[in-house]
Amino acid sequence: MIWLTWRQFRVQAIVTAAALAALTVYLLLIGFGSRDAYDTGIVGCTPSECAAALQAFVHDYNAPFGIIGAVLLAIPALAGIFWGAPLVARELEEKTDKLVWNQSVTRRRWLAVKLGLIGLTTAAVAGLLSLLLTWSASRYDQVTGERFAALTFVARNVVPIGYALFAFTLGAVTGMIVRRTLPAMAITLAVFAAVQIAVPNGIRQHIMPPVTETVRLDAAAVSSINGLGFRGEGTGGSIHGYTKPGVWPLVEEMHLYKSDGSAYLIADAKPCMVMGSFEESMACTAGQDLHFTFTYQPGDRYWPFQWIELTAFLVLTLLLTGIGFLWIRRRLN
Amino acid sequence: MTAVIETQALGKRYGHVTALTECTLSVPEGRVVGLVGPNGAGKSTLLGLVGGLIAPSAGSISVLGDPPAASAAQLARVGFVAQDAPVYGSLTVADHLRLGAHLNPRWDAGLAESRIRQRNLDPRQKAGRLSGGQRAQLALTIAAAKRADLLILDEPVAALDPLARRAFLQDLLDFVGELGVSVVLSSHLLGDLERVCDHLIVLASARVQLSGDVARLLAQHQRVTGTLPGFDGLPAGTDIIHAEHNTMIVRTDTPIDGAGRVDLEDLVLAYLTRAASYDGTPMLAEAHR
Repeated sequence: MIWLTWRQFRVQAIVTAAALAALTVYLLLIGFGSRDAYDTGIVGCTPSECAAALQAFVHDYNAPFGIIGAVLLAIPALAGIFWGAPLVARELEEKTDKLVWNQSVTRRRWLAVKLGLIGLTTAAVAGLLSLLLTWSASRYDQVTGERFAALTFVARNVVPIGYALFAFTLGAVTGMIVRRTLPAMAITLAVFAAVQIAVPNGIRQHIMPPVTETVRLDAAAVSSINGLGFRGEGTGGSIHGYTKPGVWPLVEEMHLYKSDGSAYLIADAKPCMVMGSFEESMACTAGQDLHFTFTYQPGDRYWPFQWIELTAFLVLTLLLTGIGFLWIRRRLN
Repeated sequence: MTAVIETQALGKRYGHVTALTECTLSVPEGRVVGLVGPNGAGKSTLLGLVGGLIAPSAGSISVLGDPPAASAAQLARVGFVAQDAPVYGSLTVADHLRLGAHLNPRWDAGLAESRIRQRNLDPRQKAGRLSGGQRAQLALTIAAAKRADLLILDEPVAALDPLARRAFLQDLLDFVGELGVSVVLSSHLLGDLERVCDHLIVLASARVQLSGDVARLLAQHQRVTGTLPGFDGLPAGTDIIHAEHNTMIVRTDTPIDGAGRVDLEDLVLAYLTRAASYDGTPMLAEAHR
């Protein structure tokens, strides 16, 4: 069975190995390159130059790490579409199930070896690339501080393994149920893409109850926000983009309140708007004793989130595998 | 004699479609069984049930004493060549033999290689490039080298030209004798099986119409014409299978004076006609060629 699995999989295995080798070389290159750039440009920069140096660093490495991140994001989908979906569906389509399931190997054993070996390969490819990218992008991630970002979280550390195994098994079971390769590929892609969109946008933030705290808009807070705005004459103002280092902010826009708890209106803001310079204006605002509510996931939850998400996808993978084993014996008649 | 295949009220439904119903059979060991019936009669369903490819929705079946495909050991005892002899198009002939060797504990490598050599199959050729006849030979070789006790061949000659048919069946007979294996082969054409089978199952409209040893069936059936002692004078227990103009084909264990012998083709045709008149569907002309 191992021989047959290898014989049927070897072309894909060779192509994958070649692609993996190329990506590895590239990741090593940009990994060492970004380390050099970080050491020479950012470590020990004079305060006046630091902001520009950081900006230049992010600018230089934004595209390379973004692209590899996208590749890593696509790997589970590729495994589901090209390795999972045809696994059983192609045998059914070409009627070779009637050849191979009539040798002296039970269907369950056939499925166990196929899912096991190709699943292991899938996990290894996703894991290896993820670890390489995590190492390679570590300086970049340190600078941007966005490890909770939707596209970063799923392309670092251990979570990609869970996604890849889930997508592969989803493809295999869909192929078994749909019985045709192309529709199975399409359904796998649609379902997996929906999962990939739903998890960072609606599910991950609820893994643990978020922390809510009241923050005073002092000088430090004022310097970290992206903007302050009003939607209209009678409505309260709000700030955008406030965050703390390493945390995952869950709201983009936060309403401002005065010390007595009432909304901060345009009328309240007018005195500070007429200041001469932007700095003076900001200092004035910081002096108005305003506060807002900040909801976030603390930075020390990064690893618990990684492990919980990995575990959740491994459990889903096991469930799908169970369905697959039941289906191949009972329903594929 | 032990039964190779034993079924009891076996049935298979696909949704509302009945593919096979009330099938009770017993096939003794060491036979070459011909399974005949028009297209859609349920032949592939019955063979799939015997091979364990599909599960019954009613009744029971045992093959070589065990439920079909229940275990690896049971799978090892049954060789199956599905309709159109599916093979892996991208694998070579040699790869298929390696597949057989890896997946079958009783694999007979000598037999497989000599068969491939005799049929002039190039081991390096991709199976997808083989002709229908060559593919059938490759599939049969894999099933034979498995050294199963029962071989099931679903429409093995349907894709072959008449010359190749003859050669395939002759070859099948030769090695069946050599290996002492029981065989079930199906066809919608009686002519294909007439020369090779010694046990016959006639299937039509999802039901078994006739089943038994060929010689015994021929002895039991007689042709009676109207001018004879008369339709009224038939022995008690005589079953009229088919009547047309003034000729009848009847089944009885008592010899009737002046009755004629029937051949296999008349016999099958009589049963198929009877089955067709029951459910009103016109009989397929192919059934008697």
